[in-house]
Amino acid sequence: MEEISNFPLNPEPAEEETLQSQMQESTPDRKSMRTTKPGIKRLILSLTVLFSFIIGFPFLWKSIEIYRAPLPFDRIESFSSQLESDPLHFPCRFQAIFVGFDFSASRGLGPNDVAAAITHKMSQLNPNSLRCGNCGGGDYDVSVVIDSGSSCAQTEGSEARCPLKCGEVVFGGKLSDEDFDEMLKRCLGNVDGGGKGYSVVVFNGDKEEGEVRAVVGKYRHAWVLGHVSEDEAVSRTAEIFARVFMNGGNEGNSIRSEFMPVGADGRIVLSFSLLNAEPQDWIYDWSFHEIDKTLLQPVIQALQPIANITVESQVLYYTPKSSFSYWDDIHGSHIFSTKDLPFFLNSNEWHLDTSVAAGGRSKVLQLVVYIPSAKECPLQLELPNGDLSKTNGFISPMWGGVVVWNPESCVKDLESKDPDRRVISPQNLQKLFEVLMGQLRQLLGLKSDNLYVGQSGAYILLGSERGFTEWELDVLSGKHVCFNLHSCATTLGSLSRLVQSLPRMIIIDEIGKQVKFSLEAAKFAQSYASTGIYNASAVSSRQARSLVENAFFHPSIMSISYYSFEHCFAIYSPFFLPVTMHVILAALREWKRYKQENRKYLAWKAKERIVS
Amino acid sequence: MALLSRKGTLFLLFLFSIFLLSASASNGSGEEEEEFWEELLLKPLPDRKVLSHFHFQNEAPLSDSFARHHHLFPKSIAQLVKKFHIKAMELSFTQGRWNYERWGGFDPISSHNAKPPGVELWAVFDVPPHQVDASWKDLTHALSGLFCASINFLESSTTYSAPKWTFQSALGSLRYGTLPREAVCTENLTPWLKLLPCRDKAGLSALMDRPSIYKSFYHSQRLHLTQAKTGANPKNSRVVLEQTLTVVLQPNILTGGTNYVSEAKMQPSWSLSSIFGRKINGRCVLAKSSNVYLQVERGLVTQLENLQSSTATFAANGTNLDDFGRNVGFELSVNPDRVLKEVEKSSSILYEYPIKVHKDSEQFDLGITWKHPVIWSTPHVPLYASRFLMGSGNERGAIAICMKSTESTQELVAANYVDQRCNFQVNVLQIVPWYIKVYYHTLQLFVDEKPQILTDFVERMHVSPSEDKVSPGLMELVLKLPCEVKSAVLNIEFDKGFLHIDEYPPDANQGFDIPSAIISFPDFNAGLQFSDNSLSKTPMLSKLQERSPVISYTEVLLVPLTTPDFSMPYNVITITCTVFALYFGSLLNALRRRVGEEERRLNDKGGKKDALLNRVLGKLSSKFRGRSSVSSQPSSSSSSSLISPKLILRVLLVAGIAVAWQYYS
Repeated sequence: MEEISNFPLNPEPAEEETLQSQMQESTPDRKSMRTTKPGIKRLILSLTVLFSFIIGFPFLWKSIEIYRAPLPFDRIESFSSQLESDPLHFPCRFQAIFVGFDFSASRGLGPNDVAAAITHKMSQLNPNSLRCGNCGGGDYDVSVVIDSGSSCAQTEGSEARCPLKCGEVVFGGKLSDEDFDEMLKRCLGNVDGGGKGYSVVVFNGDKEEGEVRAVVGKYRHAWVLGHVSEDEAVSRTAEIFARVFMNGGNEGNSIRSEFMPVGADGRIVLSFSLLNAEPQDWIYDWSFHEIDKTLLQPVIQALQPIANITVESQVLYYTPKSSFSYWDDIHGSHIFSTKDLPFFLNSNEWHLDTSVAAGGRSKVLQLVVYIPSAKECPLQLELPNGDLSKTNGFISPMWGGVVVWNPESCVKDLESKDPDRRVISPQNLQKLFEVLMGQLRQLLGLKSDNLYVGQSGAYILLGSERGFTEWELDVLSGKHVCFNLHSCATTLGSLSRLVQSLPRMIIIDEIGKQVKFSLEAAKFAQSYASTGIYNASAVSSRQARSLVENAFFHPSIMSISYYSFEHCFAIYSPFFLPVTMHVILAALREWKRYKQENRKYLAWKAKERIVS
Repeated sequence: MALLSRKGTLFLLFLFSIFLLSASASNGSGEEEEEFWEELLLKPLPDRKVLSHFHFQNEAPLSDSFARHHHLFPKSIAQLVKKFHIKAMELSFTQGRWNYERWGGFDPISSHNAKPPGVELWAVFDVPPHQVDASWKDLTHALSGLFCASINFLESSTTYSAPKWTFQSALGSLRYGTLPREAVCTENLTPWLKLLPCRDKAGLSALMDRPSIYKSFYHSQRLHLTQAKTGANPKNSRVVLEQTLTVVLQPNILTGGTNYVSEAKMQPSWSLSSIFGRKINGRCVLAKSSNVYLQVERGLVTQLENLQSSTATFAANGTNLDDFGRNVGFELSVNPDRVLKEVEKSSSILYEYPIKVHKDSEQFDLGITWKHPVIWSTPHVPLYASRFLMGSGNERGAIAICMKSTESTQELVAANYVDQRCNFQVNVLQIVPWYIKVYYHTLQLFVDEKPQILTDFVERMHVSPSEDKVSPGLMELVLKLPCEVKSAVLNIEFDKGFLHIDEYPPDANQGFDIPSAIISFPDFNAGLQFSDNSLSKTPMLSKLQERSPVISYTEVLLVPLTTPDFSMPYNVITITCTVFALYFGSLLNALRRRVGEEERRLNDKGGKKDALLNRVLGKLSSKFRGRSSVSSQPSSSSSSSLISPKLILRVLLVAGIAVAWQYYS
């Protein structure tokens, strides 16, 4: 039939003729047979069009693709899983010095055995030693010096000179704790090298000396004075190492201590506000300058390695609290209880605005002093056990703290026409700021009192005039690095989940770059931490966190392409839908027809062969 | 929440010896203190309305602790000043238009507080010239966060400019921008009130009843920052934050009068409680002073004096306006503590009422009761300016600024009659967005309706032409007009530009706003002069007495631009695609067509004597299926062909596409 269709303009008679001749020629009609080979011109044409369409489709797909910078999803995944499985650890060295003990005589123990005993005890006391930011990660570097007076033994490789030469070591209460601390620092020094060295000195005293005095100094030393047995000496040493030096004397609430209220840019803004609930009654003011100069600056200096702290203050008026209090005759004061605390903060009236000056991603910690009105003065916080709170304040983790300060006399001067303007006296202000500093310590995850009661007795924690002792700062900086890396990992995880869940989201190169650099910085932080370079580790971890937060909060991140899939479909379907239908159907039909015709031809051929 | 109370004693961390030593010297000197004033000025207006003008002033020394420790001054503003090195700044939110004809234009209130609708912001920065733009951009963002407004739209360089002469000379570090279409409402007022130490909890600001304020004819809330030097030492300078709220209200007419006609002519009597719905309960205890003023304008005073003399028989001798409103015109419900009179002959009078500390028993409610109908007029701007558009169509047009003389200029002529060549200066600032392409060479000036040569009247001119999508056009003119001028018209032509489709605002068909032109008259002094200067000057009084040029704003113009059909791109795409698809499909069909075969089949079918119905059906089905694969089999198939496998295949294909579509979307 090919020849027929090839000559569509053939005059009708000719065609008729051929047809008739064909009809005559082949007895079975042409519906089942044909004499010529079916042509493949139209088939090739339709198939070419179809294939060009199929080939063109990837190009089209590519051209309408949204640019997404490749993010290292597998590296993010491995980083967070690695942080989970193998938390960050700092190398720490512990040195126990026993003066006046003779382990070898009484127990037949060498210094190495004592070290092993301490290590064992430490891992018992510190079951979650695998927690991030901890020392060593379960295996501690403990060296022991035993000075029995007559002989001196030490573990191999320990740096302390043996026997301990500290000038004239004077025991007993002749030296004050501070002086003793200074003396220990002088003679033991800070053990340098990788990581931090902590030391505990146990002086075995006479039986008559009575109470055992255990003090943790403000550097990295602690000492135990008094009559202690060998076992007790070991367990006390282990406890000081494991609980105080490694955990900051803070047990239990590990959830809270995971958080460090430090901004991604490594800054904290301490925003102090003095709230006058009712200025009609009295108006209090404070001389914040002096407090800032004398009290806050040393703290800021001390915390320098952890965060860059700025301080600002304001006085606000007409700021009632939003919870209710009731009069209590027993205490003789107005009472608000702990269950009112969530409603104490009045976000409508307390405009403790975030600092404009801080900007960026600094963390603002609000420290609020609330002065009640005459109607509810004095205002006291009742604890769940029915006692009154001594500090009359509370903290809200990651937000800040509130202290209620009651004026000395709650009697309002009704006579005077002018408002009652008063200034908080320096003594009161000093007390207030002690509480506030205690709150700051708690917000940072440290203890706010000076006594640590452990399993084997109480330990006096010597306070530093800078607010934070050196070993506390070590704990904080370890936590800080951990918190940074954790938040980096979680942000990276969120980012990768977000990116994967939104396939039409544009991801510009910068985000990809920031994620890459952040991962690198995190790696650096980890490697610095493992070699014990605290500061570099802190810097790198901070960098990792701020980079990934930059990426996450990049202005372009949520610019989900307006050109959605529906859009794309709507634009291209008017062209592609009909055309593809045409092309596919044409190709199918041609193919079918070709097969059909070919069968006819073959049938004819077979017949011919039979005929011939 | 964790409790901070352990059973142990409080951790006494610090050694306080140093602290205790220094604490004794804690009391700062008076110079160092932060101060706050609050004041309210009330003024009856000739068109039966009342102007109330709240003025709050907050001052803080620019010391080391500025922006860090504050007692009264708002910390957020202080931090803005410090962070962006702001020397001076003014931000105003306005709704409504100041009626210069009826509410006056030649007094301190109108020239400071009559503002263009929407948001106006200008700021002077104390930074090197190349950093000014960056500071401006940061400032707009900070302010938009602070005041819950879209001030950040002023960030784009197409929206702000740097005028030279209209504002205080700032040597290039001034930036000026307006957003005429910004809607102003309570969400802008609340953060503004937050800056006051008493917020709206006590004092005069407690009067601010939101419904009364926002149903007013005009309200403008303003924030003005300046640095005032108190001494020779630059360290002694203070940052002054002025916050004003100007409201023009229509008092509710207190019915009860017997004579309706006289009621209608009478000014409505009002009191604070009738216009705000509240009374003043007491001052803000933190304010250094808290005063309410009632101003009686010059025109009204003159009218009342005339009235006084005409009804002298009725009144006892010697009563005058100083006598606490015991005059023929009106009566005040509260006796003022002090009456301030302007020095000049026909002068305005200011009644002062200091607000006392809160007492439950007494509330301050100042009221004025009119006894006699009075008609007066307010002092007008030297030249009453209005601006309008000329031309029609979407291609080109012209802006005309028309300035007409008022009685103020005539007074000037009268005053300077001896001086033959009396001139006065008029500064005109006109900013146009870039899509209004102004041809500056077409600037024409008509003085007294006669075209004039520009150079005869224009003393100085500063033009910075607009750059497409980069900067707006700015034109500043310093005109010297003769005192006896009747009218002056500035006329300039423009072409309307085209914007990119992305640049149109959501309601593009509404038109585009051209910001108000600013007309200022540096030769005229809007300040008032009160007689007793010796008495303590409150910020409001010193503001009223400040020598300041008269400034007026023209209307905002609405220019309709050609707006595209925003769905057009999609229509075009769809139509083009359909046309292509049709073309492509028919081309493919034409290529595949076998004409000879089809004709033969037709003939075949014709040969067979089928039922007519079958033939028609066959034809239909052949058409339906496309022409190629028509079965030439007889009738039996033709009816069943409608549900042939091919058709099912097609239905399945469409269903498949639908399913795929559902799946992917």
